[in-house]
Amino acid sequence: MSMKEGRRWGLFNTSAFRMSMGYTLLVTLAVCVTLGSAYLLTQSIIQGDVDLIIDTELRSLENQYVRSGIPGVTDEINLRIDSWGRIGAVYMLADPKFDRLAGNVTNWPFDGAPAEPYPEFRIESIEPGQRSVHPVRASVRRLPNGDWLLVGTDMSQDRRYVRTFQIATLWGIGLSILVAGVAGFSFSFRLARRVGDVTDTCVRIMSGEQGHRLPVVGSSDEFDALAASVNRVLDRLEEQTRTLRATFDSVAHDLRAPLHRLRTRMDAVLRLPALESGIREPVESSLREVDRLQRTLATLLQIALAESGAPLASPAPVDVGELAGELAELFEPVAREQGLTLAARVDHGVIVEGNRQLLAQLITNLLENALKYVPAGGRIDVVVMRLADRAHLIISDNGPGMTAGDRLRAGQPFARVGQRSGLEGSGLGLSLVSAIARLHRARLTLESNDPGLRAVVSLPLSYAEAASTSLSRSISA
Amino acid sequence: MHILLIEDDTEAARVLVKGLRESGYTVDHAAEGREGLSRALAGKLDLIVTDRMLPHIDGLAIIQQLRRARLATPVLVLSALGTVDDRIRGLKAGGDDYLTKPFAFAELLARIEALLRRHASAAEATILRVADLEFDLLARRVTRAGQEIELTAREQKLLEFLMRREGQVVTRMMLLEGVWDLHFDPQSNLVDVHISRLRQAIDRGAERPLIHTVRGSGYVLKEEEE
Repeated sequence: MSMKEGRRWGLFNTSAFRMSMGYTLLVTLAVCVTLGSAYLLTQSIIQGDVDLIIDTELRSLENQYVRSGIPGVTDEINLRIDSWGRIGAVYMLADPKFDRLAGNVTNWPFDGAPAEPYPEFRIESIEPGQRSVHPVRASVRRLPNGDWLLVGTDMSQDRRYVRTFQIATLWGIGLSILVAGVAGFSFSFRLARRVGDVTDTCVRIMSGEQGHRLPVVGSSDEFDALAASVNRVLDRLEEQTRTLRATFDSVAHDLRAPLHRLRTRMDAVLRLPALESGIREPVESSLREVDRLQRTLATLLQIALAESGAPLASPAPVDVGELAGELAELFEPVAREQGLTLAARVDHGVIVEGNRQLLAQLITNLLENALKYVPAGGRIDVVVMRLADRAHLIISDNGPGMTAGDRLRAGQPFARVGQRSGLEGSGLGLSLVSAIARLHRARLTLESNDPGLRAVVSLPLSYAEAASTSLSRSISA
Repeated sequence: MHILLIEDDTEAARVLVKGLRESGYTVDHAAEGREGLSRALAGKLDLIVTDRMLPHIDGLAIIQQLRRARLATPVLVLSALGTVDDRIRGLKAGGDDYLTKPFAFAELLARIEALLRRHASAAEATILRVADLEFDLLARRVTRAGQEIELTAREQKLLEFLMRREGQVVTRMMLLEGVWDLHFDPQSNLVDVHISRLRQAIDRGAERPLIHTVRGSGYVLKEEEE
């Protein structure tokens, strides 16, 4: 449940989301530039047209003046105001004091002569039944006799057109942002979900469900192609693991069967009635040797199997705290016999996903290692605690410890550590510990306990456990 | 008691059959899976000891067939594989016990005896009694000649395990498995240390000790006859 939760909130954290948001931004920018420049261009084209017409008319009226003086201009203006003149045309001829001589504007609209080449003003027109205000763009020339000539155009039509265009542009920009945003969000959501499926599957395979495969949706897109090829890799790996196991099984069988025959025969010899002690003793010691050989073989096979990378076959929840507590209790009398103090401080309910027998073997090997090297009067401590989402198993002693080099080497597979291996018992104990730790995706660190050795095994908590931890943390927070 | 041994390793089988006969059992031997299965299905057996890997029919398949035929004959699986998973698979298939090769003959004998007896006495007792030693399982109270003996929970479990197998040899490996649920072989003399502590608690000052060491095998809890 918490995984799903985390994934949903993690959507904002995916590269797909960031990428699609980036694209949305880019699309928005492109649309703004395109529509914005179209708007500005249209506006300037319309204005340019108007200005051109005004200029042309002014020039023709000025020509009229040159040809036939003020009366000619007046006639021409009156003619143009007539019905066949262009729609929305505004004319005014005024004397030097700006009083009207002719035209369809009653009062000079400016305060004297306007400064800009195309000034704008408003006129009120009284048409039958309604009053309306019209924006007008105009230009003013002074005729050689000192009179003022004004030619303008009613812009209401153009303004309406521009306004409509403006609204359409804004709508266009808004809609394209919306569409890009929604598309980006759903795109990144779907992408995140498919990647999430892959991640989930990988986690399940890692935790031992080897038969699991990536979902192939059938959309034959690149995800399906990826899933199909990953599945092929997984098939191959599973096949290899199976072959490896079969090889291990047959190696184990082929080595154990002759050992078994040997041991059975020696057992039979020992059961013979009236066996001379001169025969009994060497046979008994050989038998012990066979048992040691068998134990070493079992350890080697176990290490090799763990190191092969084959995942745990049937992981189950194991309470490491309880297990370590039981083992400490089991070893305590042995430690006491050797004059050692063995103390356990374990939290119960520290659940990891794993194999109880192998974890017990790991703890046993670490304890036996300490028992072997710590001299009488020494002390061994077993601690299990939960730190964040990991279980920490710490077994420390105040014995002679190990050199830094040996500590490093001891963690490696099949490494034999300096003087320690000289003692009786196989030097494979720590190799097996590190192999079992690796199998459980745990970190094994050997540290100096100043003095002595401290082995720290940090195991990932089982999912349910980790989830409940984070839940209780969020409740308490 | 009639035992069927299914084992393809004829050399090892010959010695085992001889040893078991000397221990007083009637033993049949089948050298491969098909023969083993047909003999096992014929019935009238008290116990089957089968190898895990057999020609023709696998040891686990034999157990499954047997259980499908509703035969509850106890089965002891012998295996040269000996990984943790393998053991689980063996017991899941319906095996009653599991022993990794190579093993001591005494170990096999002790387990055979345990399986045969377990079959005989399945009744649930609430008080275990051996001579003047009494264990009230409900009250978790142990007394010897009326005197209460203080034991830890684990010591009680160890004592219960021994008392339930009164007169039977119990090996160290059986104790590790049965009392501590450990299916591997620690190098320390763990079991001996725990038994000697239990012995101190139970037998100290007693005229007749109840816990006895069986050389080369393990321990037995019983009242020694004069």
